[in-house]
Amino acid sequence: MGGSKSDILQGTLDLMVLQTLEAMGPLHGYGVARRIEQISDDVLQLNQGTIYASLLRLQQRRWIAAAWGTSENNRKAKFYTITRAGRRQLSAETEHWERIAGVIGRLLRLAPR
Amino acid sequence: MLTRLFVLIARIRGLFGAARLDDDFAAELAAHVDLLADDYVRRGMTRDDARRAALIRLGGTVQLKEQHREDRGVPFIDAAAQDVRYGLRALRRHPAYSIVAVATLAIGIGAGTAVFSVARAVLLRPLPYADPVALVRVFETNPLKNWTRNIAAPANYADWKARNTSFTDIAAYEQFSENGSGAGDVFLTGSGEPQGLKALGVTGNLFRVLGAPPLVGRTFTDAETFEGQARVVVLSYGLWQSAFGQDPNIVGRTVTLSGRTYDVAGVMPADFFFPGRDVQLWLPVAYQPSIFTTARRPHWLGVVARRKAGVSLERAQEDMNGVARALERQYPDTNTQMGVRLERLHDSFAFAPRPALLMLSGAVGLLFLIVCANIANLQLGRAAARAREIAIRSALGAGRRRLIRQLFTESLVLSAVGGALGFAIAIAARAALLRFAASTIPLHADVRLDAGVVLFDAALTIVAPLVFAVVPALRSAAAGRLNDRGDGAARETRALRNALVGAEVALSIVLVVGAVLLSRSLLRLEAVDPGFDRARVVAFTVTLPSARYPTRPDRLRALEEIERRLRAQAGVQAVGAASTLALRGFTWTGDATVEGRAADDYERELRHKSITPDYFRAMGIRLLAGRFLDERDAGDRPLVAVVNRALAQRYFRGEDAIGKRITFGRPQDRAPWVTIVGVVADEQQDAMDKAAQPQAYVSIRQQVQNPMTFVVRSSLDPSAAIASARREVQAVDRDLALTAVTTLERVVSEAMGDHRFRTALLSAFAGASLFLAALGIYGVLAYFVSQRARELGIRLALGAKPQELFGMVVGQGLRPVAGGAAVGVAGAIALTTVARSLLFGVRPLDPPTYAVAIGVLAAIAFAACAIPALRATRVDPLVALRDE
Repeated sequence: MGGSKSDILQGTLDLMVLQTLEAMGPLHGYGVARRIEQISDDVLQLNQGTIYASLLRLQQRRWIAAAWGTSENNRKAKFYTITRAGRRQLSAETEHWERIAGVIGRLLRLAPR
Repeated sequence: MLTRLFVLIARIRGLFGAARLDDDFAAELAAHVDLLADDYVRRGMTRDDARRAALIRLGGTVQLKEQHREDRGVPFIDAAAQDVRYGLRALRRHPAYSIVAVATLAIGIGAGTAVFSVARAVLLRPLPYADPVALVRVFETNPLKNWTRNIAAPANYADWKARNTSFTDIAAYEQFSENGSGAGDVFLTGSGEPQGLKALGVTGNLFRVLGAPPLVGRTFTDAETFEGQARVVVLSYGLWQSAFGQDPNIVGRTVTLSGRTYDVAGVMPADFFFPGRDVQLWLPVAYQPSIFTTARRPHWLGVVARRKAGVSLERAQEDMNGVARALERQYPDTNTQMGVRLERLHDSFAFAPRPALLMLSGAVGLLFLIVCANIANLQLGRAAARAREIAIRSALGAGRRRLIRQLFTESLVLSAVGGALGFAIAIAARAALLRFAASTIPLHADVRLDAGVVLFDAALTIVAPLVFAVVPALRSAAAGRLNDRGDGAARETRALRNALVGAEVALSIVLVVGAVLLSRSLLRLEAVDPGFDRARVVAFTVTLPSARYPTRPDRLRALEEIERRLRAQAGVQAVGAASTLALRGFTWTGDATVEGRAADDYERELRHKSITPDYFRAMGIRLLAGRFLDERDAGDRPLVAVVNRALAQRYFRGEDAIGKRITFGRPQDRAPWVTIVGVVADEQQDAMDKAAQPQAYVSIRQQVQNPMTFVVRSSLDPSAAIASARREVQAVDRDLALTAVTTLERVVSEAMGDHRFRTALLSAFAGASLFLAALGIYGVLAYFVSQRARELGIRLALGAKPQELFGMVVGQGLRPVAGGAAVGVAGAIALTTVARSLLFGVRPLDPPTYAVAIGVLAAIAFAACAIPALRATRVDPLVALRDE
């Protein structure tokens, strides 16, 4: 049920889901998973099911909302939309992530010396 | 922060409608698979392959659903609900164990709750007065008269009130009886049968001292303490309801009480009482002012005072000691050695029942511990059987913590069922207590099963598993590894179970010793001769209202007329009357001097009764010497008295008392001489467990008293005898009522009621504890025999004699019993000395009691061991060997 390692991963996945929904508009769970794999050039091979834990978490925090709808190839599916609170969270998280990433990047460049 | 709250709300919502949410998620996953499969098909897979690949890509759907369910709800509650469900299932699977465990718990918790409800009402609930902690009772003390908590003389009360510096005010009320609230009888007339009511005479400031405002109207004024004011009365809420239909215009209404009219001044609120719930109305004492300056004898006032803010009880006591010393110097005649005792009002209310209640609370606590030990024992016994299940759960990944929590929840489920049943027992017990223990429960106590009692029941329900489940749960969880099934764990478990049996035995012994001590005292008490023949005698009190019978001759005439009419009734063998009846807690006492003694050698507390001549025959009191009183002993004849044996022995030991003279007064009072004409057997006076004190009887023709209690010996059954007596009394005056109607059988039985009640209750506790201990002994030994059946079979096959095996098994079973009994006897010796005040004629360390207790326990323990031991001797060697 969770040590600190998976917490970081969880947080990362949540951020990716939020960003995907922000960029793509309403999407079903499969669409989100597919999009994240495509963007990462399939570097990130998800067990696609894990996306649903993230979707539930974001829903509980009211950062995304869900509703049943019909997919492009006429299948019933649950569509997720980012909420206003979700957007606020995304921009805060993005800024935070870039700062951390910058620090880590600088650290890693320094390391070989 | 807000986000956290949203999560919490979402999770709590997730606890409900689980099935719908599960379906929703299943549909979502199915859609995911379809969409993914669609993609694979587009890339050229067959439909079937695509579905399979999609399922793999998604990951195990069962785990996903499980994870989803877990994330959705509140994990702790979910797990608890699961444990509870599991616990209930486990209980259903083992009905025999569950029934025994739940029943014992219900008894333990129920008995505890019932006793608590009484203890709370008597000892704990605050009195319904303003700042009740500041209220104190003030008593007279006097070592010369053996007084430790006596009621006060009016002039002493008045001086206390005037001279103290510690109290805002002191009030007083008439207390003519220790039984009940001391209230007198008045008769409400004006509508049909005269109605006997309990009325209390009080000083005008009483309600203000108590800080108790009326519900309607007003209470009394200070001026109303004295005579000459308009006659007013304050009603209790109950009387206002029952006799006046809650009349909203009650204030100012006129009522007739014992032939006098009174105006209703006010009504008290429903929860108000003083000093007991039996008092129905309050009247001002309306004394002449001189009573408060001259009457230092006799003593009839209950006194209650309110401490000033910041004055401690100790400081108030010192202050009053000073006042008492000053009075002693000022009035040596009456106040020599007269001291003052202060007691918190609440303590004085609970004074009599406290020792018995504390004893019962202790006993019920021991019973509760025995119940817990017994269930712990049962659970340890089951733990062996459950070891497999636990090992499997542990192997499937249940952590040690999770296992302990589950075992604990199971126990809590058990306890919750037991606690609910226990409350039902407490409800039934309350009814029984109020019926059989009315005399133990003092008149101020209102035994209710309210929120506090429910909370106590709930607390026991939670505490019980903490006590009984912790050790077994830890042991089970520790033993819950598949590879740890060695003998070591089993041996440890058995040692633990033996220790629990020992503890049960030790606790039981304490209860059994207590029960035997009380039973032996009760037997001694029942063997006490009351001094009169109690069979077929009814008794009732008649109070002649002074408004209608102002002079002594008026009263004497009415009393003799009543007696004459009663005697003429069919079936009546003898009729008499006396100013007080035995064993009802109140008697007249006064100074008395024996002729020829030194000036300061006089009796300070001689009991005296005014009687009609036939009183002795009606009561069946034996004449030992001289003669009874008779018709000749009239007002114009020489004064005579009959005395009891105690008086004759104290003052005329070795001489003939007949013809000796006494006076009812101190030597200096120069009261007229009274000649002793007869000596009668002692009748019991205050209580069955107190030796009779010197007592004198005089004829009502020479000293009339009011009220008088009639005793009628008749061949009719009591209710018929009373009905005919009532007719005759009302033929004399239709406004007279009979009060305190009873039979002598009942008077004696009520005098032992407290003792009988606590003996019965403690015996019941002791019996329950013995039964539980026997169950424990049996359980451990039966398990021992079943485990070693093979070994026993081999021994038998090799030629061991059955009686040897029997002895071996019984010895095994009795070992923890012996240890427990030794500890228990030590505990009983330490504890029963505390209960000394509850015993009569038996010392706390009474050897026969201990012998009986140990004997009873040994017999029961042996019986509990004999059954498994017999089974051991009947093990079939062939069966045992075939198993090998």
